[in-house]
Amino acid sequence: MNPNSSSLGVDVTFLLVGATALAVVTPIVGAWLRWRRNKPDVHDAA
Amino acid sequence: MTLRELVARVTASRGMRRARLERFGAIVQLAWPRALVFVDRAMARRVVRGLKGEPWNDSESALGEHVLSAPLEAHLQLTNRCGAGCAGCYTGASPAGAPNEWGLAEWKRALDVLGAAGVFHVALGGGESTTLPWLGELAAHARLRGIVPNLTTSGLEGLARLLAIADRFGQINVSLDGLGATYAAVRGFDGFARADAAIRALRAVKREVGINVVVTRRNFDELAAIFAYARERRLSEVELLRFKPSGRGARAYDELRCTDAQHRAFLPTILAAARRHRVRVKVDCSYTPMLAHHQPDRALLAELAVYGCTGGDFLVGAKADGRLTACSFMGSPEGRPRVTDLAAYWRAPDAFGAFRRWRDAREPCASCAYHDLCRGGCKVASAHVARDPAAPDPECPRVVDHVRAIEARGSVPHERARRHLPTLR
Repeated sequence: MNPNSSSLGVDVTFLLVGATALAVVTPIVGAWLRWRRNKPDVHDAA
Repeated sequence: MTLRELVARVTASRGMRRARLERFGAIVQLAWPRALVFVDRAMARRVVRGLKGEPWNDSESALGEHVLSAPLEAHLQLTNRCGAGCAGCYTGASPAGAPNEWGLAEWKRALDVLGAAGVFHVALGGGESTTLPWLGELAAHARLRGIVPNLTTSGLEGLARLLAIADRFGQINVSLDGLGATYAAVRGFDGFARADAAIRALRAVKREVGINVVVTRRNFDELAAIFAYARERRLSEVELLRFKPSGRGARAYDELRCTDAQHRAFLPTILAAARRHRVRVKVDCSYTPMLAHHQPDRALLAELAVYGCTGGDFLVGAKADGRLTACSFMGSPEGRPRVTDLAAYWRAPDAFGAFRRWRDAREPCASCAYHDLCRGGCKVASAHVARDPAAPDPECPRVVDHVRAIEARGSVPHERARRHLPTLR
């Protein structure tokens, strides 16, 4: 899983906290996504 | 933010706004916290119902192995009209603007096309786009197409109109290249007080307001003070951009670009300032070589999707007449189609030229552990210095060291490569 804050540049604030903090945050984001599981507009560019 | 505000935000959020299929899996757009989350196919199946489509007909690959199905964002130069006359303006904006500038109808069609392609954000800029009487209508149209419109402004014109439509934008950033007299030293005129007034007025009506800072040798030593300013004004972010040799910036490049020593000190300087003043900091894609110089955890950079030049892949630009570009700092070659023809051009064999051929790297990029993230650095700088956008970024510390080592040996071991190596004096 790969978080990207996107628009207008990349957020480097996370470099302050390092990989350990990201390792903690990533499963939280994953859990958040599953908890909020709904049916967003699914875009298939094909 | 109080706990009550946090709970209110989470409750109000409908979670995922959109999802887009990619060969590696999917990109999920979160409404709050605002983020694009890249997930592999297994995770995509778990978090989004009913996913299927062409990108999944091929075998699953890693992010970055293939060009995305469409850009994440498009930088739209709505006009090249601007009366500020900044010495280093990267678009060469003027009061007269550019020939054949598009109007509202054309830009609406462009948003229709970008929305259909699955683009998540547009960065609206200029020139000074706040002078356009239809800017608010265009922003509303972007929302209708599921696109978040972000805006960059000098804050020097059109403030009253902008305040009335500020809620239509995702993020509004005001260009502020220095405090007080430094602003004038970088831009060539004293506009700090007006830009500061615009920032205060915008922040009074909107939370998502930040500043864009073009980092030059004249304001580098002031970066910590700029972060302190952002904290004092309660801004949501500081966005730092490298000085690009495009537009009038090409003439001012030697005078304003940062020194090699400043580039090497860039990352620790901004992280220290961000920590001290507790301000979120973003950097543009051209700074990735300066991040890699400090050899951060490569896996961490990949996890954070800290990529270098993703022009013609993650992002595209469009000039004021609609001509498509790989990035907003790069010109549009003869024959390049309009942004409304994006879908057909995107799959063309040699679309975006050198921007998509970054894997054909020369030394010292070819042996760099960060090359698949950095993608060779800023092609605008390479095109200006080496007359070749595919050349290694001339301001990258690794490239600077490589050139120095060759010169110190007094020989040219790789004649062909040497001929194309960029050299800054």
